[in-house]
Amino acid sequence: MRKMKESKTKKTIIKLENVWKIYTMGHVEVPALRGLDIEIKEGEFVALMGPSGSGKSTSMNMVGCLDIPTKGRIFLAGKNISHMTESELAQIRGRKIGFIFQQFNLIPTLTALENVALPMIFQNTTKEQRMERAEELLNLVGLGDRINHKPSEMSGGQQQRVAIARSLANDPDVILADEPTGNLDSKTGDSVIDFLTNLHITKGKTIIMVTHDAHVAESAERIELLKDGRIVSTKKGKHHKKHE
Amino acid sequence: MKLDYLLYAFENVKHKKMRSMLTVLSILIGIMAIFALVSFGQGLSSYINDLSTQMGTDKIMIYAKGVGAPGTDDTFKILKSEIDFVGKVRGISEITGMYASVVEVEFNKQKKYAYSVGLSQGKEKAMIEEMINIKVDEGRDLKEGDKMKVVLGDNYRIPEKIFKKPVKVGDIIKVNGVDVQVVGFYEPIGNPQDDAQVYFTIEGMETLLPAKKDRYDYAIARVNPDMNPQEVAKRAAEKLRKYKGQKEGQEDFYIQTFEQMIETFTTIFNVLNGVLVLIALISLIVAAVNIANTMYTAVLERTREIGIMKAVGAKNFDIAMMFLFEAGLLGAVGGALGIFMGYLIARLGGFIAANAGYSLLYPIFPAWLIIGCLLFSFFVGALSGLFPAIQASKLKPVDALRYE
Repeated sequence: MRKMKESKTKKTIIKLENVWKIYTMGHVEVPALRGLDIEIKEGEFVALMGPSGSGKSTSMNMVGCLDIPTKGRIFLAGKNISHMTESELAQIRGRKIGFIFQQFNLIPTLTALENVALPMIFQNTTKEQRMERAEELLNLVGLGDRINHKPSEMSGGQQQRVAIARSLANDPDVILADEPTGNLDSKTGDSVIDFLTNLHITKGKTIIMVTHDAHVAESAERIELLKDGRIVSTKKGKHHKKHE
Repeated sequence: MKLDYLLYAFENVKHKKMRSMLTVLSILIGIMAIFALVSFGQGLSSYINDLSTQMGTDKIMIYAKGVGAPGTDDTFKILKSEIDFVGKVRGISEITGMYASVVEVEFNKQKKYAYSVGLSQGKEKAMIEEMINIKVDEGRDLKEGDKMKVVLGDNYRIPEKIFKKPVKVGDIIKVNGVDVQVVGFYEPIGNPQDDAQVYFTIEGMETLLPAKKDRYDYAIARVNPDMNPQEVAKRAAEKLRKYKGQKEGQEDFYIQTFEQMIETFTTIFNVLNGVLVLIALISLIVAAVNIANTMYTAVLERTREIGIMKAVGAKNFDIAMMFLFEAGLLGAVGGALGIFMGYLIARLGGFIAANAGYSLLYPIFPAWLIIGCLLFSFFVGALSGLFPAIQASKLKPVDALRYE
């Protein structure tokens, strides 16, 4: 794994080509993305950074296959997803992408274990497989003793760790984190970032993080700065541990 | 996979206990009413079926036109000559006239009114027994030549039912002021009128009420086994009408096969029961609207959850199925409880009816009724949840995730 990652011929996992997203509000057309071009290679840790209104959320929706562009093309693992149906996108999301949200977005009525097992329900897995893997993942994020707790019985940091475990459920190639530290204090936030970095290094996961926080963004290998719906600059992250 | 939808639905139903309970209650009431009504309907139709099999399908009844039961209206009678005439109609193998009258019965200084019949004890006795369909289970039956002797219905030997003191075999009672001897009792029939009847022989009734002689209140005839009873009844009616010189539609008598009689009764009962079931169905429609409302609220409340599930790979179909199962579950739980409550109510109703003397009104609970009610309530629930489920499945993940 490591060998392949360090070879010069890294495969492209996600590519956005001249992507436009235009929202219509009443009679006014509001472009959120204006010709966004990004290419992300397998095993990269990329931060999409920008102020609010820069198109961060929209670009994350595009990268995460949650929405399709008005114009332009999006490739996921070489496949054009720009014109796929809702259900096709759902299948791809479920298998290829793990989501981590600012609001944690756990299902309140389900336990930690059931939340982590949720993405596997929509793939072909048996209940035993799901429960075994979910428990394994909760152990991995250090919540092996909280598997039967509901989200409301856990702290913010714990909830976000459950969300991280959930994002890994179907062993996706890409982890997409949308402001993962936004609702956490800085200490807890740092530990979440450490965890993501660790996933990137040890498991070779591609990590795409959307943030407005420059300090958080510095943990990535590469920082893409968004403004007015397109990339305005690219730089290397200062604190990325892989390079230390 | 399917089981997981159910588990999720179950969690959600459990989570909103109060709301789920109210929704379940609304469907419970409808199913309870339907279950109880249909179980009584089934009980009665099985009783009627048994009755017509036991009585046989070869009997024809001839009634004098009048208001109320035979014997309560003296305007029209069937004369002996008319009975002899019908007896000669092709296809009729035997016929006998019967008397019926309301009489005053006195025992131990207590007076009561009762319905009394005078039945032939001669060669037609077998046919009459098939019709009455009950046996004397204490004392002896009437026999030809008995005059001032009677057999009584079951209720006379039960203390406080008709008379304070129970009547015993051998006791003397007064009928219309005349002393008669009780020789036996019939087994119970199951309704308070029939169980209070006083049975005379034809001769006994003629002695007691001489004005009745040869003026019968009704008659029963048997049809040849190789003939169609309905056709024979029709032919007999037509011939008797001409014999009496009456115009069609203005006859002062009815001739019906026993089956037709039962059918008339069954039809009336079915219409009554049908109306009640219809009312219960309306309450189910209200329940369906209630479930739909609950599910629409649930979709709104869980918009964000729907977004999350879509983000982690749920297809539109998965989401729709989850909500359908939840609505179906609400329906099925309401149905199961409704069946249980309906069972208790039907049992209680049967118990009350039996105590009031109507032991022929008893509910039965066939398996198809239970399974049918359960499936029906599930489908009513699922159907009510259909539109909310489709609405939920069509939510865009991006919008749903942003929903606060």
